[in-house]
Amino acid sequence: MSSYFTVFKDESKLDINYIPARLSHRDSQLNLLTRFFQFAIESPGKMAQRVLIVGKVGTGKTALAKLFGLKIMQMTAEKGVNLRYVHVNCRERKGSLFMILQQVILDFYPHFPRRGYSSEELLQMLIQVLDEQNVFVILALDELEALIENEGADALYKVTRINESRLKSAQRISLLGVLRGLEVLSVLDESTRSTLQRNIIFLEDYSKSQLRDILAARVALAFKNGVVLDEALDLIAELAEKEGGNARYGIELLWRAGKYADASAASEVAPECVRHASSSVYPVQKDAVFSLGLHEQLFLLGLARRFKKSKDAYLTMGEAEEAYRIVCEEYGEKPRRHTQLWKYVNNLTAVDIVKSKVSSDGLRGKTTLIGLPYVSAAELERELSKRLGLQ
Amino acid sequence: MTVEEIFSSKGRVKILRLLVEIGELNISEIARRAGLNYATTNQHLGILENAGLVLHKSFGRIRIYRLNEGNAYAKAVKILIEGWEQQGEM
Repeated sequence: MSSYFTVFKDESKLDINYIPARLSHRDSQLNLLTRFFQFAIESPGKMAQRVLIVGKVGTGKTALAKLFGLKIMQMTAEKGVNLRYVHVNCRERKGSLFMILQQVILDFYPHFPRRGYSSEELLQMLIQVLDEQNVFVILALDELEALIENEGADALYKVTRINESRLKSAQRISLLGVLRGLEVLSVLDESTRSTLQRNIIFLEDYSKSQLRDILAARVALAFKNGVVLDEALDLIAELAEKEGGNARYGIELLWRAGKYADASAASEVAPECVRHASSSVYPVQKDAVFSLGLHEQLFLLGLARRFKKSKDAYLTMGEAEEAYRIVCEEYGEKPRRHTQLWKYVNNLTAVDIVKSKVSSDGLRGKTTLIGLPYVSAAELERELSKRLGLQ
Repeated sequence: MTVEEIFSSKGRVKILRLLVEIGELNISEIARRAGLNYATTNQHLGILENAGLVLHKSFGRIRIYRLNEGNAYAKAVKILIEGWEQQGEM
């Protein structure tokens, strides 16, 4: 394979989970965030903080939070303070307070039993663990919407008030909520909302020139010297700006353009590669697909395969189930029954991966119709097969 | 209890081996992995704890057991089991 030419130097720098050492155009927000948590370094346990990071898709919310987590752990370690930053994606934890807290406690006791207690008990156990080990935690709740949508106001109320019943002892848990907009907070009661909304960091959409800076920084890390043409970079920045200042989309596009360059054995990434790539990237969240359960992914794979072969915009529920059963057989899984699948469809619709509607005239009876308008079926199939480990 | 009484039980040795290999575990998990029932496991753990070989920590209803690393005999048991595992079954 040594004769095989690639434009990449290190592809992993374009991965969605990669956190750069410095975030372009987010320095002031990082400073602000650090200032909000200054007390954690100087007088840990004296108070607990609650901060929200709010911004649209691809504005660097998660990257900012994680980078802050790394920095604050470094800073507190230098001072001899035992602080742990725990980042939990609420959507991946199905929006359940129980599963979110469990991930935190597993960080301390990897073999902690998975069931047999309520989330209230879990909260108490967590406090006990933190007290015993004298640890302070900054709990980052990414995609906080999922927790609120699933559990309503109660869960957040509990978490924001953990410290209040323990005025005399150390305040151990601070919160860092990450979400797309403040609208979802309207379901909370007045007091929870006010405790949460005191410190908000808004991330504005990136402008075209900011996007260009961000992309250029990634190009320097991920690509060989000079292989990405300026014109190609400009085009990506422009497309990402049109996508609502979405840097993640831009980075994905960059990666894909590089892949096209490699596939066509080109020695540089030209605007043509970008155009090619942009017709295949959809701003659908890859992580949304990957946080689904096994059978939801299998169901989606069935859909993708069926759509790849068909010209119809919609499949009936029956056709979808049949495709799913074939996939199950291939993977040696026992297929779930209709009601469960119907729930999957609702869930997939809710996270905007598929579109569903109830059939009206023309068909006999009523059935759910499922469409896949947001992603290319071939693309989805490829990603899922790769993910599920069978080609 | 005498040393032969402590180590004469296959269940107790299994439990010790689990704790050496995994570190910290709750009772149900110990029982499941050792193939014992809950009550027996609980009894064995009581005996081992009285002998100073293991310790537990309670979180509400949950008890998590681990080897008592501060105890010289427990340390010796750990060395014995680890050595045994490394050289393979005899």
